[in-house]
Amino acid sequence: MDIVPQLIVNSLIAGSLYALVAMGFNLVFGATRFFNLAHGVLAAVGGYTAFYLGSTLGAPVWVAVIGAVAAAALVGYGFERLIFRPLRARRASNLVLLVASLGAFTAVEALIAMLFTSQFRTLAMLTGATHIIHFGSGVMTSVQAIILGSSVVVLIALRLVLTKTSFGRAVRAVSDDEEVAKIVGIDTNSIIGAVFIIGSAVAGLAGVFAGMDTGIEPRMGFLILLKGVIAAIIGGIGSVYGGFLGAFLLGFAENFGIWQISGEWKDAIAFTVLILFLLFRPQGILGKKRI
Amino acid sequence: MEYIIHLAILVSIYAILAISLQLLVGYTGLLSVTHAAFYGIGAYVVALLLTNTGIGFFGALALGILGSALAALLIGLVLSKFRDDYYALGSLGFNVIVFSVLLNWQGLTRGPLGIPGISRPELFGFVFSDNAFFLLLALLLLAIVYAFGRLITQSSFGRTLEAIREDEEALSVFGYRTSGFKLLIFVLSAGMAAVAGALFASYITFIDPSSFNIPESIFMLSIIILGGLGTLRGAVLGALVLVLLPEALRFVGFSTDIAAQMRQLIYGLLLVLLMLYRPQGLVGKFKL
Repeated sequence: MDIVPQLIVNSLIAGSLYALVAMGFNLVFGATRFFNLAHGVLAAVGGYTAFYLGSTLGAPVWVAVIGAVAAAALVGYGFERLIFRPLRARRASNLVLLVASLGAFTAVEALIAMLFTSQFRTLAMLTGATHIIHFGSGVMTSVQAIILGSSVVVLIALRLVLTKTSFGRAVRAVSDDEEVAKIVGIDTNSIIGAVFIIGSAVAGLAGVFAGMDTGIEPRMGFLILLKGVIAAIIGGIGSVYGGFLGAFLLGFAENFGIWQISGEWKDAIAFTVLILFLLFRPQGILGKKRI
Repeated sequence: MEYIIHLAILVSIYAILAISLQLLVGYTGLLSVTHAAFYGIGAYVVALLLTNTGIGFFGALALGILGSALAALLIGLVLSKFRDDYYALGSLGFNVIVFSVLLNWQGLTRGPLGIPGISRPELFGFVFSDNAFFLLLALLLLAIVYAFGRLITQSSFGRTLEAIREDEEALSVFGYRTSGFKLLIFVLSAGMAAVAGALFASYITFIDPSSFNIPESIFMLSIIILGGLGTLRGAVLGALVLVLLPEALRFVGFSTDIAAQMRQLIYGLLLVLLMLYRPQGLVGKFKL
C-alpha cells in the first residue's frame, strides 16, 4: 500500500493542531513581545474542562467545547491581569516575563495533575462514533476533518478581525509600538487583555481537539506548547499567518521525517527544525514583522 | 537519622547542579534550560561504565565529565550564537533532543526501562555503601565544585563573564570574542553538572530518562533564581530551601503522588512570586 497519502493526512492533522496553538501564541507575542510559555497550559485547561463537563457532568458536546474555550480564556486573562500586566508596568525584561510564564505553567500543570491525577484520559464520550473519510489510500476521521477545518476558520476569522475592524487596527498599533499607541490614545492594557482572551480561547480549543483526537494528560500542555512555539518561530514570530504556515511546515517535516526512522524521534526532529531556523533564518518563513 | 542523611545527599547533588548553572545564568546571563541534559549525560556515562566495564567510580566520573563536556561543546557551538530569550528557547530544544536520545537509543540506554544495578563508589577496596560515607563523598565533591566555581568567578575570566552579562555589545566593541567565552563557560558548567549526575546514578543505583527532562531543568533554574543570581552561596542556599521545602509537606500528611505534584506547584508559584516581588532572589546581586 502506498503510504504517502496517509503521511500527508497525518501532516495536515498535526499541522492544524499546531496551527491553533501557534496562531494564539503569535497573537499574544505580537502584542506583548515576550515568549508566553504559559500559553501551552491553557490547552490542558481546555482539555480538562471539556473532560469534566462531558464526563463528570454529562454535558452535551457543544456545552463542553464552549465551556472549555471559556475556561481557557478566563485562565489566560487571569495570567495577564495578575502576572504579566504588573510586570509590564514595572518594565520587567523579557527574560523575567519568560521565567514568570514558565512558573505559571508549572504551577497550573501541577494543579491539574492534583485534581484529575496524571492518568491518560480520552474525550471519546464527547465525540461519539466517528466516521472514516478516505483520501486515496489515506484515511482521516470525521473529528480530524473538523480539526483541520477549524484551524482554517480560525485563521480567516483572526485575519478578518485584525485587518477589517478598529479593534484589529488597535492591536496592530500596539504590536508596532506600545508607547506610541498609548500616546495616540489607545488603551493598550485593555487591548492586550482582549488579545490574551482571544489567544487563550484558541489555545483552549486546541486542547479540546487534541483530546478528541488522541486524549488528554496533564503534560499535554507542554508538548503542544513546544510544537506551537516552534511553529510560531519558523513561520515568523508575532504573525498569525506565519504561525499558521509554520505549523503546517512543522507537521510535514515531522511526519515525513519519521518515514524512514521510528516515530519516537518526532520531538527531536521538531527541535532540529527549530534550531536550523534559528541559525539560518531567525526571522521565519515570512521574514517580516506583521501580525 | 538515615532520612536526614538521605536529604543531605540530595541537597549536595542539587547544590552542585545549582553552582554549575549559576555560573551560566547568574554570572554570564545566559538563561539555559538544558542543564538536566548534562546532568543526564554524566549520569548515563557513569552508569553504563559501572555496569558494563570494570572501571571504578572515579575513572567513570572522569569520563562522565569528559562526555558531558564534549556534548556541551557541540551544543554550545550552536547555542553561543543566540542571546536572551532565543538562547532560552534554543537550549530548551537541546534538552528535548538529549532526552529523546536517552529515551530512544534503546540499544545503549535501554530506553524507558532505565539502567538498574549501578554500583556504589569504591576507593582502594573501600565501598561507600553506607549512606553516611556516601554523604562525605558528596560533600567533598560539592566542596571541590564550589572551590572551582570560586576560582572561576574571582578570576579575570569570571569578570569577563560578568561583563558579557552586563553588556555583550560593548565587550565585543573592545575586541573580546564573546561567543568563545560563552562557549567555554557552557562546557565547564556542563562538566560540573556531570559530577552531580555521577553522584545521583551511584547513590540511587538506578536511572531512567525521566529524571533528566525539562521539568528538572526548570527545577534547577528555580533553585538559583530563588537563591539569587550572581552568587555561589545563593545557589547552595536555594538548593537547601527547594529540596527541603517539599519534604516538609510529607509531614503534613500528603500522599507521595500528591507530594510530588505539590513540589511542582510550589516551585512554579515561587518562580511567579519571585519575578513579581523579588526578582533578585534571597541573596542575589543581579536581576534578570
